[in-house]
Amino acid sequence: MSSDKKITKEDTWKPAELRKHIREGGHVENNVRRRDDSERRQRGGESVERTRRDPEKETRREKDKLRERRDKEEIDKYADRRKEGSRDRRSERDRKEETRRDKVVDGKTYDEDKERHRDKEDRDKRREEREERKEKERRRHEEGGEGETERREKQDREKRDRHRERDKDEDKRNDRERRERKHVEVKEDGENRDEQRRRREERERRHKERGNHDEKRKHDSRSREHRDVKEVVEEVRGHGGDRERTERDKNKERKHREDEEPERNHRRDPTSSRKSDKASDKSHDAKTEAAKDEDLADYEDDFEDYEEDFEELDESPDEEEEEEKEGSEVLEEKEELTAERRKEIEAIQRAMAEENQRVQSREISSTEEERPRWSRGSEKTPSVDSQRGKFIDFVAAKQREVSKKVASKQKKRSTELLRLIDLDFSTTASLLDLPPVNEYDMYIRTFGTANTKQAYVQCNEDNVDRDIQTEETEVCEKWTQHPPEHNGACGDPNLSREAQDKSEMSFDSRRLTAFLRSASQVMVVLLEEHRADRKSLEKMKSPTDSTSFSDGSLLLNTKLPFLYGRSVSLLHFSPAQKHTVMSVHRPTETPSAVRLDSCSIICIWNIWEPSSPQRVLIYESEVQCCCFSPGKAVLVFAGTSVGSVLLWDLRENTEDHYSLKIGEEEWTFRQPTFSTDAVMSGSGHFSSVTSVEVVPSSSSSDVPLLASEEESSGLSFQLASLDEVGVLNFWVVLELPKANEAGSPTDLGLRPGGKVKLLHSSVLLTAERESPRDAAKTGPLQTLNLKFLPTDSNHFFIGTNMGLVNHETSHGLKVPPRFYRFQEAGVQPVDVTSIHFSPFRKHLFLVGCGDGSIRLHAVSQQHPVSEWRNSTSGEPVISLQWNQTRPSVFCVLDGASNLHIWDLLRNDTQPVVTEKLHSDRVTAMSVFGDSGQQHTYSGVALAHESGKIEMQYFTRSLTVSSSEEEEKLESLVTEAF
Amino acid sequence: MEGSDTYLIRPNHQYKFKPAIVKECIREIVRERLSGMRYDPEEVPELSRSLADCIKDKVKNAGFDRYKLVVQVVIGEQRGQGVKMSSRCLWDADTDNYAEDVFINDSLFCVAAVFGSYYY
Repeated sequence: MSSDKKITKEDTWKPAELRKHIREGGHVENNVRRRDDSERRQRGGESVERTRRDPEKETRREKDKLRERRDKEEIDKYADRRKEGSRDRRSERDRKEETRRDKVVDGKTYDEDKERHRDKEDRDKRREEREERKEKERRRHEEGGEGETERREKQDREKRDRHRERDKDEDKRNDRERRERKHVEVKEDGENRDEQRRRREERERRHKERGNHDEKRKHDSRSREHRDVKEVVEEVRGHGGDRERTERDKNKERKHREDEEPERNHRRDPTSSRKSDKASDKSHDAKTEAAKDEDLADYEDDFEDYEEDFEELDESPDEEEEEEKEGSEVLEEKEELTAERRKEIEAIQRAMAEENQRVQSREISSTEEERPRWSRGSEKTPSVDSQRGKFIDFVAAKQREVSKKVASKQKKRSTELLRLIDLDFSTTASLLDLPPVNEYDMYIRTFGTANTKQAYVQCNEDNVDRDIQTEETEVCEKWTQHPPEHNGACGDPNLSREAQDKSEMSFDSRRLTAFLRSASQVMVVLLEEHRADRKSLEKMKSPTDSTSFSDGSLLLNTKLPFLYGRSVSLLHFSPAQKHTVMSVHRPTETPSAVRLDSCSIICIWNIWEPSSPQRVLIYESEVQCCCFSPGKAVLVFAGTSVGSVLLWDLRENTEDHYSLKIGEEEWTFRQPTFSTDAVMSGSGHFSSVTSVEVVPSSSSSDVPLLASEEESSGLSFQLASLDEVGVLNFWVVLELPKANEAGSPTDLGLRPGGKVKLLHSSVLLTAERESPRDAAKTGPLQTLNLKFLPTDSNHFFIGTNMGLVNHETSHGLKVPPRFYRFQEAGVQPVDVTSIHFSPFRKHLFLVGCGDGSIRLHAVSQQHPVSEWRNSTSGEPVISLQWNQTRPSVFCVLDGASNLHIWDLLRNDTQPVVTEKLHSDRVTAMSVFGDSGQQHTYSGVALAHESGKIEMQYFTRSLTVSSSEEEEKLESLVTEAF
Repeated sequence: MEGSDTYLIRPNHQYKFKPAIVKECIREIVRERLSGMRYDPEEVPELSRSLADCIKDKVKNAGFDRYKLVVQVVIGEQRGQGVKMSSRCLWDADTDNYAEDVFINDSLFCVAAVFGSYYY
């Protein structure tokens, strides 16, 4: 065991040595000091020291002789140790232990037990010894004749051999003792069992090995041993001659002791069986071989040399007894010694104790292994020690023992526990992480707080944004030139050519379509005219005699399935397009194939194309009045009996309207583009509309109404509508730039896809009586007719049911005369059925009344220029119109279906022609005519009760005007006033 | 030969070392003792020692049975320096635990850590 080698001083300090040192007196200090120096020196050195002490030993020689046999054995051991020293340090220590234990054994009495074992062992031992001795003898004989040194060597060798066997013997004994002791110590020292066992086993093993090895090696190592011994001897010699002297003395004494020994042995056998064994052994040997006696003597002599090492045992009780027996000499000496040195001993003991303690504390860790054994020994011995009056530091030992016990206990505990639990590393826990304060904060903390307070912190300062324009600039190349050449002043080098081509192409196509449209129109008209001419030629031949005024007639083809059974209520010619006429067909009571019975139908005709109407307009309630738009006849206005004002845009595509297939032909029935039905509830009419008139604009009145298409489509004009109760509404006709197919979200009156609408502009209440008194006698006033002064749209004339025509202005002061009345004063309840201005003398107008009277008024005069009563023999005038080509001719249709044609130039008191058309009653009449340069014509369109519409051309006398006609009119006016 | 020893390997739950409670103890003591204190190098060693003892006594009374306690108190001056302190333990994580609390005022910082190790 490596730890075994750490032998400290305390181990080397044995009580015996201590005593010896004390006795040495002055040398003690030196020795102690030297010992300190050579603490870790090899045993050989120590043994040398011991030899030096020999002179003092002389004094105790007597006492030593009386020493026990057992002690001798130990001396033997020490002798061995002296010689073998470093070679066998371990066994030496064991032996030391043994001595200690033996002391204990002496003190206590468990030797019987030991004896038994010993008997057995001793038998073996004896055998071995015998053999060995034989061998030794042999060797000695071989080496015989050598000098003293040789003898000594032999002795030494023998001693060694003996020692070897003794070692074995002792080891066994040790084991036994230990085993015994174990029983005692188990209670307190259970933990050390393993260790002890291990140690013991190892020790035994080593001893055996060594024994075998030594046996084997004996011959081989002889020379070496020899050398060793020589060295030792030389060392011994170096210490002085007294040494040898001592040895010789010892030899003498030995002889003396030999004699005594058997007795002693016998005497002391009970206590020490080993001694007796030895003795018997020796005696036995003596009997067998004579030489052996000497040998034995030598052998025992050697022991004497080292008696001094075991002085401490002298004080054991039996020894003392022996000492007493030995003689007074020694006793005296001893007493003397004790008396002299007691104090010194005590002092030194104290010093030693202190030193021990120091050393112990210093080397407590390094002597860990040694401690338990040591302390164990010490624990057992205190009684003995105390008996002997020696002081050994047991307190420290005890402490160590205790701590060792605790440690081992804990160790055991930990070994057991560590099986059950797992230890692991915790994650590194951060206990504190205090970041360094930056300079600014430090400054603020130290200096910045004076009179300041940090209220806000600008944050987000690291959020800096930066933008880069990555979109590329679009580059396009253009050129320009001044003055412009060719097609343009600017252009694109890449696209100029295609663009030019495109514009030329589109321009061409537009012109082409415009040309084709007009050309086709012309072609259709030409074809129609050609056919009509042929028909009229045929007609003229057959019914010429029917009318005296007619130069021929034309029938519009009203034999259409949807017009069947309907009477015509109105005929109206466009003022601008004089060949366009519209006919209003009343709803019919008789059911027909077409489901349009409850509807009014308006047909737009071109008189050159009489075969079929141009457009068919339809509305749910009865149409009371109608008119065309000024200029080109593209718009149709109508007032109905339910108070709505309607507008049709004739330019709309046929695809946008409801079409119905009747028979083989497909007809498109157009709903109004705009209707005020329920839309203008606040501003509309609440009674049936009696008249719709376009307010003539000053420009259109000055310039002939043959404006270009573009101008007329500009469509900025006003419309006026009058109802029965005298409410006069003005509407602005507005054309939208773009049609909305989905319909207008704001203007619900507008048809989806329609582009023209009416905007209500103002309202006038025109029902004005001449005097409030009349109301009671004549009933409610009705307004029946509306006409505007063609030269000034500010003035308008309203025919009432009182036989009067009211003259009013839409804005500005009232202009006299307020009323146009009959020749005689007074008011009669007579309807004004018709008012018509002269197309040539625009301040003259004719008024037809319900009682059949006809009046010619000048705008400036309250009373008529002339008045014709009874010209219709009391029949009410239905319609009255000036001739369009002759200023002095006008036509009157009365309620009895008589047509009267007046020619004021020829006869200013009665009509020149009165045509009675009783076969088929005429319900409506309208005069048409064009005083154009190429083809002057005029005529009257008659709508019959059967629905037939007949166009009668006037004869040449009624068509071609003469210069004196207007003068005649002038003269009439001047005559009247 | 002899009956094997029996050990209490795990503490009863109610006796287990609870960091929250210990932390509260530490906080209470440290706040009470250190609030308003200024760092004084002369008295800080004694202060930290007494704080540690105080904390140890208090935690002992908290009823963590069979626990060995290690209390570490560090008091340092606050002068804007950075301090980093961490611990690492080899222990049985099932039973052993630690609690720590930091007290900082204008002039000093104090870290008190209590490590509880279960004695089986």
